[in-house]
Amino acid sequence: MGAVTYPDGKVTEFVNGRIVPLQLKFDAQPYAGNFNVKWTPTLVTLDELGKEHHRIVGFVPPEEFIPAMLLGIAKANFDYDRFAEALADLEVVVRDYPKSKAAPEAIFLRGVAGYKSTHDPKPLKAAYEKLQAEYPGNEWTDRAQPYRLLP
Amino acid sequence: MAEIGWLNDMNEALARAKAEKKPVLLDFFNPG
Repeated sequence: MGAVTYPDGKVTEFVNGRIVPLQLKFDAQPYAGNFNVKWTPTLVTLDELGKEHHRIVGFVPPEEFIPAMLLGIAKANFDYDRFAEALADLEVVVRDYPKSKAAPEAIFLRGVAGYKSTHDPKPLKAAYEKLQAEYPGNEWTDRAQPYRLLP
Repeated sequence: MAEIGWLNDMNEALARAKAEKKPVLLDFFNPG
């Protein structure tokens, strides 16, 4: 990460602007134990209370890093029912990084956040339809399959 | 060229996250 991803200009700009960056050695206690770190890199998105919302284990290339972090930030907001904030970042992933590995999960979570913020099931069905059309066979398409039955 | 301004103290990172209303990216790394 330190040799390839973090020196990338867009990655650096994103991290310094959107998130508080914290690096700890893999054996730094008590944190390595508390977070059950078994391999590096382990990238964890935390809220201001230190609660985990998203985790990636293994190398993330520069082109995947920003959408992966946006998904993590969105999940932190989603977990606190801050749906407008979550939806804003999920929209960026879906619109600007459609080929990223984070995109299918972002579409799924966008559907769920849309439903939870409006109690209208249309965003769930729209999520399934988009996933089925653009990401057939993806695990998030499979997880959204029940929503195809919604009116 | 700009670099990432890594912190290395959890309490400092959480305090900054609270003040700036941002999440924290915690990178457990192996310095080799």
